[in-house]
Amino acid sequence: MSNQFYEFFCPVKVIAGKAALEHIPYELTGLAAKRPMIITDKGVRAAGLLDPVVNACTESGLDIASIYDDVPPDSSTGVVRKIAGIYRSEQCDSIIAVGGGSAIDTAKAVNILVSEGGDDIAAYSGAGILKRALKPFFVVPTTAGTGSEVTAVAVITDIEKHVKLPFTSSFLLPNAAVIDPRMTLTLPPHITAATAMDAMTHATEAFTCMARNPLSDAYATAAIRKISDNLLKVMDNPRDADARLELAQASTMAGIAFSNSMVGLVHSLGHATGALFHLPHGLCMSLYLPYVLEYNLESIREPLGELLLYLDGPDAYAATPGNRRAEAAIASIRKLRDTLYKYCKLPRTLKETGAVREDQLDNIAELALDDGSIMFNPREVTLEDARAVLKRAWA
Amino acid sequence: MLAERIQPMAYQARRIYVELMFKVLGSAFQAASEIDPEIQQEGKALPTGLLFEMKVIPDGPRMIVEHLGNGRFLSHGNNPPRPVDLSIQFKHIAHAFLVLSFQEKTSVAYAHDRMLVDGDIGYGVRMTRILNRLEAFILPKMIASRAVKQYPANLDLPEKLLTASRIYLKVATKFLKW
Repeated sequence: MSNQFYEFFCPVKVIAGKAALEHIPYELTGLAAKRPMIITDKGVRAAGLLDPVVNACTESGLDIASIYDDVPPDSSTGVVRKIAGIYRSEQCDSIIAVGGGSAIDTAKAVNILVSEGGDDIAAYSGAGILKRALKPFFVVPTTAGTGSEVTAVAVITDIEKHVKLPFTSSFLLPNAAVIDPRMTLTLPPHITAATAMDAMTHATEAFTCMARNPLSDAYATAAIRKISDNLLKVMDNPRDADARLELAQASTMAGIAFSNSMVGLVHSLGHATGALFHLPHGLCMSLYLPYVLEYNLESIREPLGELLLYLDGPDAYAATPGNRRAEAAIASIRKLRDTLYKYCKLPRTLKETGAVREDQLDNIAELALDDGSIMFNPREVTLEDARAVLKRAWA
Repeated sequence: MLAERIQPMAYQARRIYVELMFKVLGSAFQAASEIDPEIQQEGKALPTGLLFEMKVIPDGPRMIVEHLGNGRFLSHGNNPPRPVDLSIQFKHIAHAFLVLSFQEKTSVAYAHDRMLVDGDIGYGVRMTRILNRLEAFILPKMIASRAVKQYPANLDLPEKLLTASRIYLKVATKFLKW
């Protein structure tokens, strides 16, 4: 008997499609919640994305007890403490996060404090600290990429100690993720492209890294197909609600896949680059994906070759000899990046970002080696390997 | 009937094996950090005084090492002098046995969710790299290849034999002192 083993867990109710937001009041009532707090950021509010959420609730007689709309891009322990204070003073009983990764992570951390008590969120940092269910928590993503609505982690910066605090617990998962196409309709082209490539990377790494399993494979391949079929449609016509919904669902599916099978070197390099040069995560994912796949090629030839079916469709898959499919899959991803570059100048190399100098590649390599996701990369990555990948990704 | 009698003995043997392997690994960890410049280089980035443990939860066998600075480590056996800073935890003794009997690579055990890291993940990754290099030294290549994700390509036989014998000599000396 082989040592094959896996775990798979996703208890999040996914509410997706037309008028999905209007399900929020019913779902909250089902959890005996009557005074929800909305946690979001200024950009979401300015884009008018809060209105349909608030209207959906008030129309059903459910008043929003409080709205906090000042979550910064890199949320901190101070922000979490402040929001928890407002939650308590307004006697809220549930949380709705509306936004991208930062708003969602902040809301997860606030939920810890308001459920467990206290003001020191750092006390709950780490894995498996939480032992019971938290307050009712819903997530309404406004980007189609992070997958944070279905991940059991949150990262909050402790500004005083200059460290990023990780929180890992299945109790951080929301009760429901509400995927409504209205929330991503106005996303600008470059963010649409970068976040979709983030989801593409989640799915690709989930399918090719060490902790892949049959269930995450199913989500990953379906997500890749949806992105391949719909990303360019959305770039052509940003108001295409059906294609937008497909991308948003793909993001959630890729999130389910990678939260159960983890990610690899693309994320290690991306996290390091993001931390050092403050480049958006999705941009980094798109940038490194083909170079890391080339580096891992001989360890992932079979699964990567299989992905050609989902990237380019059955005709291209059938027309490509089995021993060339992995290379064809990489070529397909490169072609997609080239097309996105034409649409919105999404950088394909580090040089194209204009934010990194060639003499800084070593800094990225060194930081990437200590990233947790490197453990799940199919090849053991040495400092020299990381440098070589970065050199290829330079220009 | 016979199986019923043998099973508790098998469980006991498995526990003793894991305890022994932790003891050997802890001592070898210390010895290798006194010998191998690459391990010292990896260790240098860790904070001085970092107390690291590898254990079977909830209260199974464990090994504890402390970073003394400059990439040097000290084995504390299974007695931590204070609360540990970084803990790699096997969920069950059966999982520790799979890894320590080289039936499952450490990286695969992580991927299979058989282990948890409690503490700074970056330090955990670094300690795992040191552990991998240590295993590449002290195990025959065929067995080491089953223990680590990728056997180091730059580790030639003379270097391996020389370093391994120096590590084993130090471990044996420590065991004799006990």
